Amino acid sequence: MIIGRLYIDQKSVVPKVVIGVVIALLAIVPLFTTSMVTLSTLISSGIWAVAVMGFILILRTGQFSMGQAAFMAIGGYVSAILTLNLGLSYYWLSFLASGVISGLIAFAIGLIVLRAGGTSFSIITIAFGEIVRIVALNWEDLTHGAAGILVKPPPPINIGNFEINFSLSLVPFYYFMILLVVASALFYWQIDRIRIGGTFRSVAANPVLAEHLGVHLMKYRVIAFTIAGVFTGFAGAYYVTFISVINPLIFDLWKSIQIMMMAIVGGPSLIVGGAIIGSTVLYSLGNYLSQLPVPNVQYVVFGAVVVLVLLFLPKGTGLVDLWGKFWRKVFREPEEYEIPGEFADDEEE
Amino acid sequence: MPPAGIWIDGLVQSCIYMTMAFGMVLVFSILGILNWTHGQFYMLGAFVVYYAVTAAGIPFPLSLLVSGVIVGALGMLVEKFIIERLTGPGYGLLAVTAATMALIFFFEGAAGMAFGLMAKGMATTLPGVLDMGVFSISYQKIAVIIFTLIVMVAMYIVLNRTKIGKAIRATAQQPDAASLYGVNVGWVSLIVMGIGCALAAMAGGIMGPVQSVDPFMGRIPMIMSLLAIVIGGLGSLTGAIVGGIILGLLNSVIAYKISYLSEVVLFVLVIAILLIRPQGLFGAASK
Amino acid sequence: MALLELNDITKFFGKLAAVEDIDLKVEKGEVLGIVGPNGSGKTTLINLISGYYKPTRGDIYFNGQKISGLRPDQIARLGIVRTFQSNVLFEGASVIESMMISSRLQYKTAEWQAFFNTRTYKDEQEKVVGNLLETLQLLDIFNETFRPAAALSHGYQRMLGIAAALAANPSVLMLDEPTTGMNHEEAMFVVENIKKINQRGITVLLIEHNMKVLLGVATRVVVLSFGNKIADGDPYEMMSKPEVIEAYLGTETV
Repeated sequence: MIIGRLYIDQKSVVPKVVIGVVIALLAIVPLFTTSMVTLSTLISSGIWAVAVMGFILILRTGQFSMGQAAFMAIGGYVSAILTLNLGLSYYWLSFLASGVISGLIAFAIGLIVLRAGGTSFSIITIAFGEIVRIVALNWEDLTHGAAGILVKPPPPINIGNFEINFSLSLVPFYYFMILLVVASALFYWQIDRIRIGGTFRSVAANPVLAEHLGVHLMKYRVIAFTIAGVFTGFAGAYYVTFISVINPLIFDLWKSIQIMMMAIVGGPSLIVGGAIIGSTVLYSLGNYLSQLPVPNVQYVVFGAVVVLVLLFLPKGTGLVDLWGKFWRKVFREPEEYEIPGEFADDEEE
Repeated sequence: MPPAGIWIDGLVQSCIYMTMAFGMVLVFSILGILNWTHGQFYMLGAFVVYYAVTAAGIPFPLSLLVSGVIVGALGMLVEKFIIERLTGPGYGLLAVTAATMALIFFFEGAAGMAFGLMAKGMATTLPGVLDMGVFSISYQKIAVIIFTLIVMVAMYIVLNRTKIGKAIRATAQQPDAASLYGVNVGWVSLIVMGIGCALAAMAGGIMGPVQSVDPFMGRIPMIMSLLAIVIGGLGSLTGAIVGGIILGLLNSVIAYKISYLSEVVLFVLVIAILLIRPQGLFGAASK
Repeated sequence: MALLELNDITKFFGKLAAVEDIDLKVEKGEVLGIVGPNGSGKTTLINLISGYYKPTRGDIYFNGQKISGLRPDQIARLGIVRTFQSNVLFEGASVIESMMISSRLQYKTAEWQAFFNTRTYKDEQEKVVGNLLETLQLLDIFNETFRPAAALSHGYQRMLGIAAALAANPSVLMLDEPTTGMNHEEAMFVVENIKKINQRGITVLLIEHNMKVLLGVATRVVVLSFGNKIADGDPYEMMSKPEVIEAYLGTETV
């Protein structure tokens, strides 16, 4: 099944040591380079990864959301409008509000739309994305219409004599991105491996059987959609701060589909690994392609990459699975069926 | 009461959404998946007609057929080399959905690279206005309505009177049983995908003179016909037709009443319908 | 008061009555066999009790509480769990994973305790996993614990279906033709297991085609024909009644 094995033992795919080394390396990147290009690519990839994790979580319950960029837009607008009206000193409060409001909207929309489920759900989420865009375009008093809102960087943070100033360089943005990604990754990772993660998957794998074993399908679909809404809202708020503007064109249908593409290319079987690999690969590729003089080449290449990944990687498991195979081959680890994570932990104690 | 012109515009939109939704549901009933690229076949059809008329000088009605054949063949290629390979055992719905959604941008980008991003007009095709006294209607819009009538009648005959049509309906109802009776399900899927894409292409071609031709022209018809399917009930051909009519007229009338945010009102109406009947107007009631 | 009570249950599909005016009382601790030819409404009856279908008419009471109209998950939560004839697998899951998904009703700790992996949660999980392994042992599929469920033989898959239902802590277990497609030995193995389950105080509702299975385990039998209940009583007595033989064998010999 393309959604992935129900419980995949993450240790067997990416060992904790490797994760640790990667995080350590990422943490010291600004010591070696403060180049705009490198840092902004990494920052954007990280932010998109957070949105992609949300998409994969919704996918875990068997739903295919085509409107995730709309929640980024909501988060972005909430934080931009609040800072504009309350003043810059309320930046972090507005940031918090962006996730909360985005989550509340996801909850309300989910209650209505997830009743239909399946293909109807995908169609309505596309429509929802369009609604958000049209409202943003036309509600000029609040959103400033097509011109959009300029977003100022967060105010400097003073810790003793040490000042973190967001308007001088990208390094603070970079570290805050790491913080955001690590926090959401830990949350999603834990959600995915505990009891509720299994319930999410059971809803997708066999809804009828799950329901007869006591799973309230609607409840878990809405929970997943809401969690994704909260974190995607944060991602949107931070993204607009980073690019310092929000307008109705930034989060359009193409961005929603891009989130889906990152998930597919990275591999939806691993919620964190797949999201990070997918968003980094595709964002860097898109960044490179947008510098070429050919218009629209990004659309063509992304479309082709997704189709090729689906056709030629086994059962559409994405790049993350390829990495797992490589790892096992290099270290000759047996490719056997692993004991599920939680259960293995119990035996060790 | 909105003036007649609004109703005619609505009717023209209805015709297009109907044709598109019909093709999508036809494909859905056999392949069990939605072809999300349908709107892009509409766009490609319009481009074929545009170049056939302006560059090759082929007469407009004939170039419609040409676009149907070319884009229908393209649809068959997509079915054969992508959709069929992603629907084997072990694949969920996800693979095909993701692939056809990715193709939306592949085709849009390719069209943009090949034909340029500028909108192309072909307003000189079928010029003139029919004056009926109370209201007037352009020949281009009449052509759309007549085209849709022809398509619907033709589809009715094909589905009910021909051998292929019977095979299609048998496969839609009972794929396993149909294959037992000697119907080649793979072949039926291919034919159906060809028909669906040809319909979309011809709809795009016939709309070419009414609107302008550009790589992104397929998006709104795509979203609208998807919503028509949701209203009508996924999998119901009657539902697709009724949903298309409702949506086209509603869209036009709402746009007349409230100039902006009309799409929002429309979307909210669709969601309201879903709240009352999650399976759509003509969908099979669950349980 | 009976544990499970069906009053005048009727279900129409269009104009066709799948079951009509069925009255049924299920007593605590019994193994009630439901027999009848194909299309006599056996599976519809289970679908009605489990909440998969809503009855057109009539009420169902469980422990004196009205359950007709509730969702399947609510009914499962109350303790009525069923198995399916062919729908038994969570795609991609191993045996123990299926069991762990099914065991969620055994937990009393909240999700946040699982999230922070608290002491109480760990203790509870240990207990639940112990229960699951014990269930697997009881049904003799312990050796398959870590295999992908899809790789099991047909018989083992059916046993996994029963094990998963047991993991949901039922007080009434409804089995929908657990022995279809099995040979005699496998079927007898199922009979033994149903007895073991019943000995734990779980009431069993058993839809069955195989007479040997039925006579081997059922304490009471209800015969359905064309959606109507035509007989109710001791298994051996039932099987000798002429109308039962006619209803049952009449279609079987075609």
